[in-house]
Amino acid sequence: MKYILLMSGTRAGAETYHASPKQDINAHMAVLHRINQDLAESGEFVATQGLSEPKEAKVVRGEKNGLPVTDGIFPESKEFLLGYWIVDVANADRAYAIAGQISAASQNIPIEVRQFAAHEAKSR
Amino acid sequence: MTVEREAAPTKTEKKMKYILMMNGKKSDFERYARWSREDLQANVSFMRTFSKELKDSGVFVSTEGLGWPSEARLVRAGNDGEPITDGVFPESKEFLAGYWIIDVENPEQAYKVAARASQAPGAGGKPANMPIEVRPVLSGHADLGL
Repeated sequence: MKYILLMSGTRAGAETYHASPKQDINAHMAVLHRINQDLAESGEFVATQGLSEPKEAKVVRGEKNGLPVTDGIFPESKEFLLGYWIVDVANADRAYAIAGQISAASQNIPIEVRQFAAHEAKSR
Repeated sequence: MTVEREAAPTKTEKKMKYILMMNGKKSDFERYARWSREDLQANVSFMRTFSKELKDSGVFVSTEGLGWPSEARLVRAGNDGEPITDGVFPESKEFLAGYWIIDVENPEQAYKVAARASQAPGAGGKPANMPIEVRPVLSGHADLGL
């Protein structure tokens, strides 16, 4: 079963992280890298992706003429996706265990765990 | 089928990866669940055509649709590293409904693709004009200055 593990945070949280000492970020990345390697070895790794900082986010809507209208204004409380992992695991508990590892490596930030949509799963 | 692949930019062009995200509150998902069969079919058919267009134009990287927010769990590590799960979210929480990752020349092109996604038909078959969040994705730790 495929699950997506989502790490999210506010703009302020992301800014605090990016302002932290380079060695702390390096150490954090090293642990995440090790988790990725473990997942690759166990055959559970599907994909991972980190996103750019929230300040680069834009919201796009299509107008009647189909042209994009962009806006980069978000409420302060908005939780931005910071990155995700897609894992292919035997059951939900295993997905939660991996999310727990990522959380422990990342100052206990909560990780949202979701399955993929049913119609997607059927087409696989 | 979703294929995650690394972009292979040629020497002359520097492409950039963007993620296009659809978000919604639990109430938005519940409303979506009540759409008529026709409206759902029109929406799904639009999404298929849209994905095909992205593939045909060579910008497609990957896409995923997520399950219902009622199945979402929040996981934290306990003291011994064991996972502690929780399924309680504030009503205002925006859940990721799905995303596309595309590989394009510039942000304007990403916005144009997002605008097309925004025009997917909604209830009653009219363009929903739903907001799409657009962000560059990191190609590696180099983007963090590491």
